[in-house]
Amino acid sequence: MSNARATVLVVEDEPEIRRFLRAALGVEGYRVVESATGRRGCIDAGTHKPDLAIVDLALPDLDGVDVIRRIREWSPMPIIVLSARIQERAKIEALDAGADDYVTKPFGVGELLARVRAALRHAVRPASGVSRLCFGDAMIDLEHRRASRAGEDVHLTPIEFRLLATLARHAGMVVTHRELLTQVWGPPHAADTHYLRIYMKQLRDKLERDPVRPAHLVTETGIGYRLVTDE
Amino acid sequence: MRGRLQLSGYAWSIGAAAVATLAGVAMQARFDVVNIAMVYLLAVVIVALRYSRGAAIATAILSIAAFDYLFVSPRGTFSVQDLQYLLTFAIMLAVALIVSRLVESVHRQAAAQASLAIEAETERIRSALLASISHDLRTPLAIMAGASSSLAESGDRLDPAERHALAASVFRQARDLSEQVAKVLQMTRLETGAMRIERDWTSLGEIVESVLARLRERLASHRVIIELPDDLPLVRVDATLVEQALGNLLENCAKHTPPDTVVRVRAQRRPDDVVVIVEDYAGGLSDADFARLFAKFHHGTAEGVGGGVGLGLAICRAIVRVHEGQAWAERIPGGGTAFRFTLPLEAAPAMPQETAAG
Repeated sequence: MSNARATVLVVEDEPEIRRFLRAALGVEGYRVVESATGRRGCIDAGTHKPDLAIVDLALPDLDGVDVIRRIREWSPMPIIVLSARIQERAKIEALDAGADDYVTKPFGVGELLARVRAALRHAVRPASGVSRLCFGDAMIDLEHRRASRAGEDVHLTPIEFRLLATLARHAGMVVTHRELLTQVWGPPHAADTHYLRIYMKQLRDKLERDPVRPAHLVTETGIGYRLVTDE
Repeated sequence: MRGRLQLSGYAWSIGAAAVATLAGVAMQARFDVVNIAMVYLLAVVIVALRYSRGAAIATAILSIAAFDYLFVSPRGTFSVQDLQYLLTFAIMLAVALIVSRLVESVHRQAAAQASLAIEAETERIRSALLASISHDLRTPLAIMAGASSSLAESGDRLDPAERHALAASVFRQARDLSEQVAKVLQMTRLETGAMRIERDWTSLGEIVESVLARLRERLASHRVIIELPDDLPLVRVDATLVEQALGNLLENCAKHTPPDTVVRVRAQRRPDDVVVIVEDYAGGLSDADFARLFAKFHHGTAEGVGGGVGLGLAICRAIVRVHEGQAWAERIPGGGTAFRFTLPLEAAPAMPQETAAG
């Protein structure tokens, strides 16, 4: 699908970072709107109606997490967060506040563009619109609740299926431990990370070609998991 | 620990006074009462030398009481007929005070000297660390400045392949530099205790997976073999930190062994902990390098052999330590190194059973 004229809002106070983001996104055909402060970013998000926002977590005026909350009050647009390595907590906070994905500084443009593409793909299709998903040898039919690997049916327990479906709804993007636990086991279990460790291993054993080095059901250490599908 | 030591000091007071009393009872038929007093004094001095001032005073008082009651007439009472015994009592007490005071001041001096030595050692490590860091930081900066200025000033006269190579080199060096800075920061936080560790149930399999993904390029020229038992229990650790500890060991192996050699990652469950083992099988290091590497790992000093390697090992060790585990290295007979660290096991968390029906 073509996102050739998608508009990307960049909320980042460092001009040199805005410069290379503008160049990289421009070359890919995106229209770029730049905001140097958090407040400006919130306003630009309203006036320019971008298709996606890239928000730096360390802004001079507003906390990046607040910017995300404000945008989330009225818009479901995908938000990608730029964070420094020492901001592990802020990163998780931002994701739980509604950001869809993150890139850690310093990052390569290739990595950022891949995240942008995944997030825009996710936004374009309605949340329940995709019923089939392929990755590696595996094929998942969300509508009929069936899974197969290399053409052979794979039996998934109801919880395994719910977990896989939650990851599939955010295909290509990170999903935090908290969100997965809340969606699959319910809010009282939001901190029971060990459930995830065990069920993710079961899913990998059933669906990955090499469960020790999974290529699709990927761990984001300290944050959550990501289902990497074939682009 | 200290509390126990002090209590045992008072136990010794009672013991010493009791032993002196037994000796006095045995002596009283043949020896003068003054000599019995000397035995008590000896008990006071011994306790004062070895235990606290309180214990010494307690010994003196117990000794005075026992001596007075059993040996000073009228016997069987605490009253004193001959007033010169009061002087004996005062001297016993004074000896207890003087000896324990002397002992205390000797201890204080020794402690001061030890802390001076530690300070000097810390200072030495710090300056070695700074020297190695500035070397490790300056090299990539020099490459980045050179490559990027070539691009900026004469990019249009370079052929596309060269341009690309220069740009890629800036990117690679920036990444490495960022890793180095993160390591220095981490070491500082670990050393100053500013690191808050966030424990959560974690799978070692996932940690290994994410290390391999993060270090894919750096390990590309090595054959990495993973051997994790299928029933490896979950550990309650800070996953981000343990991932780094393991990553630093793997980076170290990759750096010190020739391409195409094997690096093996294993884990073993033991009754109280899990041992994670990273082994390489290439004796590429000279004995002297080897000794230095081991020293760094075992003592946690952070001097770089180059490329921030020493820092990586020191961080690994510090991370394992904040998790109450142990880290050590062994030489593998026939060439190679085995780095091992342990992570303590906790009782496995409850896991609801899911009915197999689906």
